[in-house]
Amino acid sequence: MNDHSIQIGADGVDAARIVEEIRERVRQKRAAGAYADPAVAQAERLNLGGLDAGSEFMDLYLDALRGACLVDIGDFPIEERRPLLAPLLVPLKRLIWKLLRFYTFRMWSQQNQVNSLLATGVEAVFRNHEQKIAELEKRIADLSNRMDESGR
Amino acid sequence: MGCGSLVPEGMRSTWKLAFVAPRFADDRAVGGAETLLRRLAERMAARGHEVSFLTTCAVDHRTWKNERRPGAESHGSLRVQFFPVDASRDAEAFIRLQEKVGRQGTLEPSEEISWYRNNVHSTALYRHLSTRAADLDFIIAGPYLFGLSMAVAQAHPEKAVVVPCLHDEPFARLGPVRRMFKSCRGFLFNSVPEMKLAQRLYGTNPERCAVVGMGLEPFDSDGDRFRRRHGLWSPYVIYSGRREPLKGTPLLIEYMKALRKRHRAPVHLVLTGSGEVPLSVADRKWIHDLGVLPEQEKYDAMAGALLFCHPSSLESLGIVVLESWLALTPVLVNARSEVLRDHCQRSGGGLWFGNYPEFEEEFLYLMQQEELRRRMARQGRQYVLREYSWPQVEKRLMAALEAFSRLPPAALPRRAGDEQV
Repeated sequence: MNDHSIQIGADGVDAARIVEEIRERVRQKRAAGAYADPAVAQAERLNLGGLDAGSEFMDLYLDALRGACLVDIGDFPIEERRPLLAPLLVPLKRLIWKLLRFYTFRMWSQQNQVNSLLATGVEAVFRNHEQKIAELEKRIADLSNRMDESGR
Repeated sequence: MGCGSLVPEGMRSTWKLAFVAPRFADDRAVGGAETLLRRLAERMAARGHEVSFLTTCAVDHRTWKNERRPGAESHGSLRVQFFPVDASRDAEAFIRLQEKVGRQGTLEPSEEISWYRNNVHSTALYRHLSTRAADLDFIIAGPYLFGLSMAVAQAHPEKAVVVPCLHDEPFARLGPVRRMFKSCRGFLFNSVPEMKLAQRLYGTNPERCAVVGMGLEPFDSDGDRFRRRHGLWSPYVIYSGRREPLKGTPLLIEYMKALRKRHRAPVHLVLTGSGEVPLSVADRKWIHDLGVLPEQEKYDAMAGALLFCHPSSLESLGIVVLESWLALTPVLVNARSEVLRDHCQRSGGGLWFGNYPEFEEEFLYLMQQEELRRRMARQGRQYVLREYSWPQVEKRLMAALEAFSRLPPAALPRRAGDEQV
């Protein structure tokens, strides 16, 4: 490398320290369930490349998956944003909702079962692999130590 | 002709250089690597070195249609020669293989050959170069993913200096790319993390590596001017550059949606640059897609923003982050980009996020701390002026070429089997 390589180090704001403090705050808030929100799961689905960044991200993703896997099939307030049409359209929408419910409930219940099973399955596979990797890492470390000792 | 105070005693004062780029960066073609090569060539030409700039007639990086007239043109002090892209390339096969690499991360050896053959090549350019190569000191080509760079490295390994703009992505592990990294005289990297990546992936000899980067000129910017012009008075986050999944634009939009939903934050998002962003009618109320803006207006837009957010994990320099600091705006970047994280860490001019909760916390933290934002922006600007000013970059480039000229020629075959050009 040439002699004019870029210098390392800067005075003033310590960005690494701020990021570390924020990460600690995120850990605490996550433990308190602050991110078990479907909006977070929705946002994180495009960040799956981050899965290789370690189990911290995976824990977050699994939290989000648990929060998002169930489709909300409960009743909700039916509204109409055009005030003049509201007296006509709101009862009509309510009627359509009631008529379709017998069919959509059945479909959504099945979907919820599938989603829950998939979420549980993904989590089980991850935990299983996590445990196996930890065991293998321990074995590798033990073998390395033994090789070092036998080499002395 | 001399190079004034930039040339320490014992260094050579004049080089004969050919720059090779897949496109010529001007108002018709936008690209970070192309801009970098053009600027380096212009600076070297202005310093009195014998410089020619060889490129293709293509403008669009998706179609590679020959849209410019072949032949020579003068652009300021730079003589640019345009050559047609080979019509024989099978663009569909190439795209299919690109997609396969993106999906599966690898190709079969026969597919690698097909990927290389159907990459962007210009036989006319190669012929021209082979007639002139004996007169040249160095052929500076880039970026790494293009057939032109790989072909130049194979045909002229003793003279080829590649400006790779390397990213940690599956393409970087393909056979033709690996071979290129073993058959060049030297490499000019944009940042220390990019150089370390090359050394990690290919075991590149440190003697053949130099960090040079691109210089930026300081500029004046006026955020209020941008706000007045666009009638935008809400606080906003900005992203400038290519808008596409590889650059993380959809991720930024999703994160901003979640932020607005969870915190009822009245913050807007301004996007500038090329590429399409599919937005719903509801999204258009708070996402302002302004397309490609004139440079001054882009700087004004940066200056008026709360933060510049760069969600890409694939950057070798991140010019827009450096520009944002020059516009005195701090940044939030994707932690998976070692380059962007390194800029932020060394300058103190920005923070980095690995997931949505970190993005949210950092955004809320910075939003509440105006004085900290100002300090970070000032530090970012000082960092750019210190490390990426043209005099610094030119010194690094001159020193690198001098060091490369003293190396023994790359002891590698000139051409390799099926990948012959």
